[in-house]
Amino acid sequence: MNSKRLLFPYVLVTPAVIITVFIVFIPIIETSVMSLFNYVIWKPKDYKFVFLSNYIKALRDPVFWISLKNTVIWVTGTVSLQLILGFVTALLLNRNFWWRGIARSLILIPWVTPSVITALMWRWMYDGNSGVINDLLVRVGILKEYFPWLANNSTALGSVMVALMWQGFPFFSIMILAGLQAIPGSLYEAAEVDGATSLQRFTKITLPMLIPILFTSILLRIIWVANSMDVIYVMTGGGPGYSTYTLPLYSFIKAYKFMDFGYASTLAIFLTFFLVAVVAGYVFKVLKSQGSME
Amino acid sequence: MKKSIIIILMMVLLSAASFAAGQKETKSANVRFWYHFDNPESAVTPLVQKFEKENPGIKITPESIAWGAYNQKLLTAIAAGSPPDVSQVKLWWQPQLIEMGALTPLDDYINNWSGKDDIYDNVWKLTRYKDGKQYLMPLQMVILYMYYRTDIFKDMGLVPAKTRAEFLTLARKLTRDTNGDGKIDQYGFGIRGARGGHDWWGTFVLSSGARFFLPDGSSGLVTSEAVAANQWYIDLYRKYKVSPPTTPNDGFKEIIANMKSGKTAMTIHHIGSSKTMEAALGDKISAAPVPKGTERYWTSFGDEENGVFSASKYKDAAFKWVAFLATAENNAVWQKASGQVSVNKSNGETSEAKSNRFLKATIDSADFAHVLPALPQTAEFVESVWPTTMQRAFNGEISSKEMMETFAKLFSGK
Repeated sequence: MNSKRLLFPYVLVTPAVIITVFIVFIPIIETSVMSLFNYVIWKPKDYKFVFLSNYIKALRDPVFWISLKNTVIWVTGTVSLQLILGFVTALLLNRNFWWRGIARSLILIPWVTPSVITALMWRWMYDGNSGVINDLLVRVGILKEYFPWLANNSTALGSVMVALMWQGFPFFSIMILAGLQAIPGSLYEAAEVDGATSLQRFTKITLPMLIPILFTSILLRIIWVANSMDVIYVMTGGGPGYSTYTLPLYSFIKAYKFMDFGYASTLAIFLTFFLVAVVAGYVFKVLKSQGSME
Repeated sequence: MKKSIIIILMMVLLSAASFAAGQKETKSANVRFWYHFDNPESAVTPLVQKFEKENPGIKITPESIAWGAYNQKLLTAIAAGSPPDVSQVKLWWQPQLIEMGALTPLDDYINNWSGKDDIYDNVWKLTRYKDGKQYLMPLQMVILYMYYRTDIFKDMGLVPAKTRAEFLTLARKLTRDTNGDGKIDQYGFGIRGARGGHDWWGTFVLSSGARFFLPDGSSGLVTSEAVAANQWYIDLYRKYKVSPPTTPNDGFKEIIANMKSGKTAMTIHHIGSSKTMEAALGDKISAAPVPKGTERYWTSFGDEENGVFSASKYKDAAFKWVAFLATAENNAVWQKASGQVSVNKSNGETSEAKSNRFLKATIDSADFAHVLPALPQTAEFVESVWPTTMQRAFNGEISSKEMMETFAKLFSGK
């Protein structure tokens, strides 16, 4: 009886573990192995084990460094923009107004819009010949003439980041809103009695109470945004030049335009390392703070 | 007793299965055919029906593949060991496909095929691989020429340019503010800066001192004339600004839309887009051969062929299908759907063909149409290296010399 009880949780977990092994671990191992080979699909005769050559090649590849730099800008920029906008909307939605229910559902629209549609929509809005953004900016006098947002190397990455900010901020809004509603009203009442200003209430109650939720949401978004390349691919294809290349996009292009699966796998492994480093740092911090609480 | 019944049953099943398999081998060949049309509404069904009626026992399974991912799908399917039996391919894919050992030489079939003399000799010549074998069956062709807006030309009293120098003057005249608000709203020339734009580039650069290889085998892309010709092309966008500001990212859709809306007055493309251009603009659109560069004419010979894959179990049936499509009557039907030009001499002689101004511009350009080098690197050049490098040069990130050195390095194979 006792041993049965001990085994039961394992039985329940097994299906999930088996699926994860098949769809996550085996591909990861396969990618790692592939990254040690010279594997260009159309050169079957040159297929051979090259050990770490692909890794050395990547470190010497200027495009790898451009992509890495862009990935860092892309992740930090997009996630912070989403966080700020998400926070502001969450605070607004936490207030009482008669159409709050409708507003809360409307805010989900960007989140549920498929990425390709988001990308196409923004591409048209940015269009240098007939885009609505150019039209508005010219009408209000900010621009003198239409500007090719996605064709200019200094604005392309920023423009795509704005599109992704729009797509991803509802996630933060919803998470933060849930967090806000979990803060007991008695805390604010007590603060009010003690004569705290609204700024003090925000920094001393709201923010500290939200920290766990913020950490989790930011971590999730960092992983998703770092991996996402669909919006960039549809909006610019990585161009002009390398100005919107991020690591996953570079890996994709190496795999499917150059058919170089060995090198593409190497780039993917690098990205995995970076993300694992971020996640490990986070988990370490959380464990430490939990330890100090105990 | 029970055991023996099971064994007998299994034997019956097995023999039935092998009989069915044997039937399939000899009697009914299922030929998987990959193709694409620029216009997704075009269908290959009438040709399939006709073929299947004429060739009982052969079934064609056509699969329309999106053009953007065609090359990658084909290469990955070959690597995975499951290519189609027949696929529409581009000439510049041939070196990679042969490197992979994916194509079957068709010489023996073609020598016994009655239709071979009705295909243009030059098409046979251009599509033959450097090892002397014929791996591809011609299907369609196009030659790039200059589209121009006759209404704008007429208003301004202009005629199409004959030389590169004339072209620059013309493009600058056509770049203007048409409504007097102080902003340029019409550009002389629509440059394709995104993937596929190497044909635009070649017209002005490969005609004016640059070539992929010099007679001694060294690169002809980094000579001072080549770098200067490339600079001239970059200047069209950066210095003279005769093409729209969106040029670096402009692809096929943008250049055609800009011609239709009057945003640009000239661009380069082939007869494949003439139907939609004519539908939108009527007689306000016409075509002429591209201008001559400083030393010669260069325009791109665009082509598509059918390849039979060596992994195919039904090569005889597959050849019958590709030969069927290359026969004048059927090829004419195919071109109605593809909007391109027939590879058959007899189709070029019809009166309908002779009165078409776009076909005339195509035929007038036939003598100086060129193809890209038959090297495996050409696919990378077209798919990725050319657009990325060109966009960087257009945005001033790299110089003309650095751009040409990138290409020279790619083609040197280092």
